[in-house]
Amino acid sequence: MFNQAEKAYCEALLALRNKDYRKASDCFDEAMPQYMNNKEFVLLMETNRLLLAVKDRLAKYENEEIEIMEAFAHGKETELL
Amino acid sequence: MSEYFTLKSLEGLLEEFLAGVVKVKQNRLSVLDGINRLDDISRMSSDGHNINEAIGEWFAEHNQWLDKSVLKDIEIGRIGNLLENISFGISKDKISTPEKRKLASEIDRWNNLAEKTPKKVILKRHGETVKNPALNTITMYDNHLEKALNLFKDKAGDKKHILSVLDDSLKSAFTQKNKDALLLSGYIIYYLKLDGYLVDPYVKRLKEAEQMLKGKKADV
Repeated sequence: MFNQAEKAYCEALLALRNKDYRKASDCFDEAMPQYMNNKEFVLLMETNRLLLAVKDRLAKYENEEIEIMEAFAHGKETELL
Repeated sequence: MSEYFTLKSLEGLLEEFLAGVVKVKQNRLSVLDGINRLDDISRMSSDGHNINEAIGEWFAEHNQWLDKSVLKDIEIGRIGNLLENISFGISKDKISTPEKRKLASEIDRWNNLAEKTPKKVILKRHGETVKNPALNTITMYDNHLEKALNLFKDKAGDKKHILSVLDDSLKSAFTQKNKDALLLSGYIIYYLKLDGYLVDPYVKRLKEAEQMLKGKKADV
């Protein structure tokens, strides 16, 4: 039978295939103790981690953009307090 | 906004990289996924759950593996072990039903695949150790030559004559009781002797350094 780390690595790859990067990250974390010396594993895990960080940063930008858009509701400029 | 576009570009690049890796692994990944699911079914079976439907679906989905040679020996072995476990779980319930008989026949079909696959005998041994002392001394001498050459390069530095290098090397041999420096001095002396240099004073110093080194060994 697969051990928990093997299953987690497998799930991480499947999550990457489905572009579910958050789930992949959780699975990579779970598999890490067994694969921390596996270069390919570490490369995938760190790339995924970086991608999530980039996405988080982008989300902040996009939220800021939404706030700006709200300031121009109904086509009229609204005063910002 | 330039940071935003840089991040967007990086996001695309990273996603592309991960998608590329997954694409390369696509075939193995689908096999791994299949085995992982069979592993889940096997666990359910061990826990006493009814797995007839799940295993039936698994066979329906993966029967193509029997016709195509997509499985590696190790994977066939793994599937065989899991099916054996599942088979044990099914046979615990003594009541025979058409469904169970069908599953048993499917399991047999898969087990035949495992049996047809010739088992590889892998002989393993620890790293090779050199038992021939002659080879050991060759390696040791080779290492020494490399060290001596590095030492020579260090000492040669910005010196203008080989005698200056020899003088420095003899000092190291004498004061530091450095065996590499002693041997390097010996090479240089012999080299100079063959070229007609008067090397007697250096030979005397070489012998003194050798005595020092022997004294150090005696101290030890």
